[in-house]
Amino acid sequence: MLLIIALAAVGIYLLVYLSVQAQLQAVRTGAIPSQPGGEQAMSQTLRELRPDRVQGFGVQIVSGLGSVMIIVFAASHVGTEFGWGTFRTLLAHGAGRGAFLAAKALSLALYAAVFVFLGVVAAILGSYIVTAIAGEAATGPDIGAITDAGRRLYYTLLPYMALATLIAVWSRSAGAGIAAGLVVYFTEGLVAQLLVSFNRDYANVVNYGLSRNVGALIRGAAGATTIPDPSAVGLPDQGRAAVILGAYTVVFLSLAYWRLRSRDVTVGG
Amino acid sequence: MLAAVAVQPHEVVLRTKGLVKRFGSITAVDGLDLEVRRGEVVGLLGPNGAGKSTTIGMVLGLITPTAGTAEVLGRDVRVRREDALTGVGAMLEVTSFYPYLSGRDNLTAIAILRGGGALARVDPLLTRLGLAQRGGSKFRTYSLGMRQRLGIASTLLADPALVILDEPANGLDPAGQREIRELIKELAAENRGVLLASHLLYEVEQVCDRVLVIKTGKLIASGTIAEVTRGGASYFEIVVGDKARAAQILRGLGVKDIRETPTGLDVVADPERGAELNRALASSGLYASAIIPRASSLEDVFMELTEPESPSASPTS
Repeated sequence: MLLIIALAAVGIYLLVYLSVQAQLQAVRTGAIPSQPGGEQAMSQTLRELRPDRVQGFGVQIVSGLGSVMIIVFAASHVGTEFGWGTFRTLLAHGAGRGAFLAAKALSLALYAAVFVFLGVVAAILGSYIVTAIAGEAATGPDIGAITDAGRRLYYTLLPYMALATLIAVWSRSAGAGIAAGLVVYFTEGLVAQLLVSFNRDYANVVNYGLSRNVGALIRGAAGATTIPDPSAVGLPDQGRAAVILGAYTVVFLSLAYWRLRSRDVTVGG
Repeated sequence: MLAAVAVQPHEVVLRTKGLVKRFGSITAVDGLDLEVRRGEVVGLLGPNGAGKSTTIGMVLGLITPTAGTAEVLGRDVRVRREDALTGVGAMLEVTSFYPYLSGRDNLTAIAILRGGGALARVDPLLTRLGLAQRGGSKFRTYSLGMRQRLGIASTLLADPALVILDEPANGLDPAGQREIRELIKELAAENRGVLLASHLLYEVEQVCDRVLVIKTGKLIASGTIAEVTRGGASYFEIVVGDKARAAQILRGLGVKDIRETPTGLDVVADPERGAELNRALASSGLYASAIIPRASSLEDVFMELTEPESPSASPTS
């Protein structure tokens, strides 16, 4: 799964590069009309694909893929224990419910760390590949900025991990955990984006959700992406975003523990 | 062979007092008291839905009792669950392991969880349960019988004082069932207490020192096999047409325990009274098609105790 995600990160770099390059050539040859500032924006996007900008564009790609990946993996990691009936077997052999959940959360947190590392490495690789294709001289990546962005990215994955864990525990099903987790992820992000685009005052409400706080932390990294994004207006303060995401993680895991602890384990889980 | 547990013989390893479990309006277990001592095999019998698995679930702390207590080696499972379960090896009705791991790796994972000397027991147990050759195969490739064997092996990893087996012979061929019976006897001989829930009454009759029969969550009979079967009480199966009249005649001879069956009557009486019963019926003009002497087996008693109330099987007296 990690390899697929890493390949996807490289693939997205190539797709974005080829698509922007094709549009740029079409504008320059007059095949399509030039919009005011359009060529400049496309050149800016191409600059974002360079190795020295991985902390911006690259980390955003890894963030999007990572949120989906961690929801799928966390729900599978926890939900299959109920489907296979192994949760019941473990309890019958003396395992504690709290210890079970702690072990799952710890292993998922380690998995997320490995994913962030590999994802960022894949993004650096992708940036070098497109730079080589463009025939430009590559400037080395800013390791300090990438480390800061990676740390933030890792932190933003934790509430999604906790959410998928909670749903999988509650439903005792990997499938339900994946489906409900992805629905929450996409719907909440989309609704927040739409509401803010209708009226910026809605930011006061949706800034208590997950997606806006994730956006605040990722975009707030040192040297984050400079590509303009209208939906990013009114993002919450980074400190507040960190607190809200941390609170979501704690609340989701606490609810999962409460459910796991209070439930009778009959068949399966 | 596993090392025998060096402890007090006949020590109580499991005791439940007034165990109750209600699921909404349904009472699954209703005030169950039971005791298992070291060195004995106790059979837990009952029809489907009687509350056997719920009882085991409460003993293992998987299900929270509505009332009552379950103690393993004197430790209350609700208060000191992990501590109490260090002395228990349990095999649940549905044997579940990680399908992508081999049998050996599954046992190893549980052994790591168990700690102590459990890791050193993995290979000897695979050998003891006849899985040494297939220990490296993925669990998902195992037959039902092999899964049961692996489940039983997992119960012994912790060198337990109490072994709980829920339908251990499910899916085993006759030879396998016999091996499991021998193994259960060995476990008791090693001074472990064994609680065996089984539908195979022959198996229970062969290995259990005591049995507990539960129905709709209530204990309806308990004791040694001889006590429960009334020492294998003899009775006559009488095939006769006019059941009511035949019953009246036989009651006149002082026979009290008479039950109607679809073909006639079951009459509890000494074996030597067969001719007397036959003569009494014939002298009243009732000719039985057959009078067959029988002895109560555990199965007979179980069926009698647990059968649903119906007019055709209700006692005539």
